[in-house]
Amino acid sequence: MPTGDAVHIVRRRFVGAPGPRVAIVAGIRGDTPEGVRVAHKVASLLEQHHDALRGTVDIYPCVNPLAAHRGERYWPFFSQDLNRCFPGRLEGHAPDRVAYTLTEEVRDAAQVIELRGANPAFSEAPQAHVRARDTQAADLARHANVNVVWARQPGPAAGSTFAWQHPNTLVLEGGTGNRLQPKVGVALTEGVLNVLNVLGVLPDAILPFHWATITRPLMVGDDRVHRVRAVAGGLFLPSRGVWDEVEAGDVIGEIIEATAGEPIETIRAPASGRILAMREQPVVLPGSMLARVVVTATQESA
Amino acid sequence: MRDRVVYQLSAPYREPYTLRALEFGSGGPTVAIVAGLHGNELNGVHALNLVASALRMARLNGTVTLIPVVNTFGLDQGTKRWPIDDNDINQAFPGDPQGSAVQRIAFALLEATQAEVCVDVHSGSPLVDEICQARVPLTGREVGLARAMGLPMVWRREGDRLEATGLVGAWRERGVAALHVVGGRGATLDLARSRQIADGLLRLLTEVGVLRFGMEPGKILVDATRRGVAYHYSSFGGFWVPEVAVGDRVAAGHLLGTINEVVGGSLVEEVRADRAGVVVTMRSYPVVHARELLVRVAEPT
Repeated sequence: MPTGDAVHIVRRRFVGAPGPRVAIVAGIRGDTPEGVRVAHKVASLLEQHHDALRGTVDIYPCVNPLAAHRGERYWPFFSQDLNRCFPGRLEGHAPDRVAYTLTEEVRDAAQVIELRGANPAFSEAPQAHVRARDTQAADLARHANVNVVWARQPGPAAGSTFAWQHPNTLVLEGGTGNRLQPKVGVALTEGVLNVLNVLGVLPDAILPFHWATITRPLMVGDDRVHRVRAVAGGLFLPSRGVWDEVEAGDVIGEIIEATAGEPIETIRAPASGRILAMREQPVVLPGSMLARVVVTATQESA
Repeated sequence: MRDRVVYQLSAPYREPYTLRALEFGSGGPTVAIVAGLHGNELNGVHALNLVASALRMARLNGTVTLIPVVNTFGLDQGTKRWPIDDNDINQAFPGDPQGSAVQRIAFALLEATQAEVCVDVHSGSPLVDEICQARVPLTGREVGLARAMGLPMVWRREGDRLEATGLVGAWRERGVAALHVVGGRGATLDLARSRQIADGLLRLLTEVGVLRFGMEPGKILVDATRRGVAYHYSSFGGFWVPEVAVGDRVAAGHLLGTINEVVGGSLVEEVRADRAGVVVTMRSYPVVHARELLVRVAEPT
């Protein structure tokens, strides 16, 4: 650092009997402490039981420490989104080098798990993201104790994200940015441990929960996730919570005019299903996303 | 001149967001010039207003659309990104009329700038000072247009990383001759650089036949590809003290600046030019980390 001290990006390595290597990466953005907390919880259990491990687990609990220090999303100074720097460059400035180093670190891993929190403007149900048509990752994600496994088509920036650098990467997220929600933290921690169990890295005996308590997720693609956007600008007041069940047309919130407080728009569920994400930050413009509703019924059963 | 509202978006607590275009002349050829996509880049805003002053008094053979500031909310608050959700409008192209605010603005901007020649004007980051330059592809019509602008630097380069979602990339996808102009530093107004950019834009309008000004040609100091530009990075973190400024000519080995300890000021590193050339980029904010870009030196024409 300019002042002569150093910032370390820590890797905690747990080595057991010969077996697969799993990399668990958290805190690529500095406003996602939920993922960092989950990484620490998993590390704590592995530390107690490293004799029972088969394989190697590398945990990177916080790879953007300067942003985490400020509770901000981006790497400071150039305000760089670290999750748009991958695969990175060895000769680049700090975020490029971190991205490069991390890409190289996970290159030979049998499985990569990225832990995220949500954007601070939203609350999200525990969910796994995998690439569309990545059946191996989707099958593994079934065991991640999440409500939804979402197979997503790549957006224009996908190639510069961490999750794109390694095939079959599981992305787990939930909760709210810059907040810790105990239930979400427990769910994701148990999900990571269960995935390690399915991969053969952790034996059943040391899991701190029974396998039957693991949530069976909805498996969905982009076609079953509906985004609800504001038509008017104002203050959004949600009337339903994350993972509430809704029927198409149900009121899920309203927008009021920001200075007079008059209601100006009623927000309704676009489809029957569950609320996957709900906006927490009330100030909205036309087009701002307010909620995501995931369709629970399959086409056959609907 | 027609002052046209291109797009409006209602906003809580304030008047609606309004994207305004100043239109001059009629018929072809057509040119669109945009600035202020980033709310803290002010030289382009001033340059476009200078161009507007000149066009108000000129007879035009064609149409010029000027959009001096896109990110008005960011400009009000001194932020690069759209302030409400911290998104970069210049990563939201080609946009979506039903999408988020920045996607809607991007879509409306692209629709409003359907011209044969398009220019997007930026400043450097608030931490970095840039010589006035036109960035263009390696070949094609843009290269001739950039040279006609007569800015101190013509930089022929492959696409930038963000171009797929940026305005210039979106224009090029449509087959438009698109130039990316950069000059000065963010969060400041540099009157001389703004004037230089404005003069370059007027020369461009003359080159395409919209204007018939008899302007002096500009002095191009550098006409380079990436290979002709040397990047000098910090090896250590510390306090950067430059010894040269943007536009200076330096010999190989010339001292460009030093990195010193923040406390005590002891010398940590001398940074010297690895070739003779013109200083085209200078880190102006003195606190630097290891491997950050400090100076670019480009081979002169």
